[in-house]
Amino acid sequence: MTRILLNSRLDDCLSAWRSAGYRVIAPSRSNNLTSFDEVASAADMALDLVLPERTIKDHFFPQTEPLVRYEIKKQQIDTEEMLPPDDKRVFFGVRPCDAAGLDIDDPLFGWDYKDQYWFKRRENSVIVTIACTKADPFCMCTSVNLGPDNPKGSDIMLHPLKDGRGWQMVTLTDRGKALLETVVPMLQEDAAETASLANVPVKFDVEKAMTWLADPANFESHFWKEISQRCIGCGSCTFLCPTCHCFDIQDEGDTYSGIRRKNWDSCSFAMFTMHTSGHNPRNTQSMRWRQRIMHKFNYYRGKFGVNSCSGCGRCTRQCPVDMGITETLQEITNTAK
Amino acid sequence: MSEPFEPKIVAFVCTYCTYAGADLAGTSRMKYAPNVRIVRLPCTGRISPMFILKALQKGADGVLVSGCHPGDCHFAQGNYHARRRWTVFRALLSFTGIPEERIKFSWISAAEGAKFAELINGITDEIRALGPFEQYQELQKVIETQSTY
Amino acid sequence: MGIQEQYRNEAAELLSSGAVKLVIGYGGGSTPDRRRPVFVRSAEEVSRLVLDSYCVANLSAYLISEGLLSDGKNVAVFLKPDGIRSVNILSAEAQVNPDQVVILGFNIEGEQTTPLPGRKAADYAPLMESLRSSGLSPELQREADRLEQMSAVERFDYWKEQFAKCIKCYACRQVCPMCYCRRCIVDVNQPQWINTSSHTLGNFEWNIVRAFHLAGRCVACGGCDRACPVNIPLRLINHRMSKETLDIFGHFPGESADQKPVLATFRQDDPETFIL
Repeated sequence: MTRILLNSRLDDCLSAWRSAGYRVIAPSRSNNLTSFDEVASAADMALDLVLPERTIKDHFFPQTEPLVRYEIKKQQIDTEEMLPPDDKRVFFGVRPCDAAGLDIDDPLFGWDYKDQYWFKRRENSVIVTIACTKADPFCMCTSVNLGPDNPKGSDIMLHPLKDGRGWQMVTLTDRGKALLETVVPMLQEDAAETASLANVPVKFDVEKAMTWLADPANFESHFWKEISQRCIGCGSCTFLCPTCHCFDIQDEGDTYSGIRRKNWDSCSFAMFTMHTSGHNPRNTQSMRWRQRIMHKFNYYRGKFGVNSCSGCGRCTRQCPVDMGITETLQEITNTAK
Repeated sequence: MSEPFEPKIVAFVCTYCTYAGADLAGTSRMKYAPNVRIVRLPCTGRISPMFILKALQKGADGVLVSGCHPGDCHFAQGNYHARRRWTVFRALLSFTGIPEERIKFSWISAAEGAKFAELINGITDEIRALGPFEQYQELQKVIETQSTY
Repeated sequence: MGIQEQYRNEAAELLSSGAVKLVIGYGGGSTPDRRRPVFVRSAEEVSRLVLDSYCVANLSAYLISEGLLSDGKNVAVFLKPDGIRSVNILSAEAQVNPDQVVILGFNIEGEQTTPLPGRKAADYAPLMESLRSSGLSPELQREADRLEQMSAVERFDYWKEQFAKCIKCYACRQVCPMCYCRRCIVDVNQPQWINTSSHTLGNFEWNIVRAFHLAGRCVACGGCDRACPVNIPLRLINHRMSKETLDIFGHFPGESADQKPVLATFRQDDPETFIL
């Protein structure tokens, strides 16, 4: 016997969550774009998607956010911190790869200084993930040792029922349990068969690729030039990545007052490493692409013991020139001895 | 009773004609609306569309760009180049919903002090009637508030 | 012999005779309907080249890769008519030497891919004349008409919603053959004209400036529109600019390699209906 949430009771759950003080955020379609947005009812959700085009990261690490307001006066500088709102949030219909992305980024935002802007949002959010029953040709979670029902980063996991009536609900964390408490009357105790999971083929041997990447002899390999030749140096792969986390600090305002902001930045941009002197240590696109791959599959693991890729495949799916992590790691796996 | 709305208008003018015209208006003791902040530039050819965007970013309700009549440019061709640029830029602003009524262009020579005063009064009245450019200023206000995420 | 075979042979010939050092073409992508740019440097590799109706990207953007043409050697590139126009503009703006560019021209109509005879940009002059009248696709035209009929307030709201989606990944800029500035205006910070943050105001400013810089230069290849990961209809705004320069100044971008850039020239009798 397990707990079942029926499709028909989803709206009741939404109401219950809202009365318990949660905002409900789910994949939705608007303005010709699929992304995570606040929804009013189950009808607004786009749960049929393999993945929304934009990631859940947007709600934890927004593309631009104010950090502090400042005013420079004659004798002093006044500052006022601009922390994110305190709202409790339910993320419903997240995919395991997006959820894992949050977990992967946690150590980065907390290893020496605990980033309040990230953790305040993390602590106020409950991630309700739906296991995947379908995948597209770009999905690659299984290649990075995750999978269509991997619990990493999720508070509740929903397994779609075979007959399509709803989901089997499995709580994974205390936060998940607390959320479930609010909707117990809407759930059924029932035995039901869950649908079979998406079949996501393994596309590369990540261990082998990591060994190749770790070999200093390959750092200057001609491979990097070859593989990144067509890269146009835009930031779409990084900005649509659930784990990419680089940012830039900008002061916006005039001479005496303004707002200090945290904006997404991308290692694909030539400006990313440009020095004031005019010297640019990563002055070619191949160096920048190498950095992206090395960071994800070597440096990040070295520091935090985990790869910075959750296998969502957005980098390839959305690339204007059909590049991405999959192709690069496939090529490495094929050529590595 | 609330104060009547007084628009903020930024005028980008060339130094050889329109600025001299404005100067003439002043020395002739003509009265014109104090709503205009004049920014003097060497030539209309120097007036980048960026200036217009910056003025709007900083809260202007209207913008005036003004220079020498065709044929009178101190640098011979600056205003001809500027004219083409404005033609295209104006169409672009209009297409993105920035009303044409808020972005004005004029030719005012050094001798046209009276025209300058009249024009400023006319534009000020027109933009006062339109009201503040709230749609654009709203974008700035949003930035200054806490993140909604 | 199909067009793909014909062009593979031609590419092999160009490479083996030393007429070009590189062929920029299309290859198979990660799904059956995707094509990706490929760079072929020897006759043995020409089997990587694919040419069919999925080959829509304008590859001329690669011609402005830093240092590519500076050794004086020639490069061959697969181009549709829009790409040929791009080469003309890049030549007119002194960014490429047209003599160094060998064009493997082709056209796509529906599922059909046909060769375009001619090897140098100048050979395509008669074709350019016939392109002048080409417009938007019917759906895009409907959307453009709908926008024109809106009030300024409605149009502003329309673009506000569109630009709110922008994440400033600059894919639109990077994919565009016309965006070759060493330092883009948005990356200039002394002074900082445009807000670099991707809040709606910053996005509005960026998109206006991008469109303005393309006025009279865009060849409507649609690259920016396709590259945009958040699906902003950039084609509409570019088309509006092209319409303006064509209607007012009779300027059809990329007509020839000696065409004067529309905003770098003037006529004394240019219309000025709006100047007070």
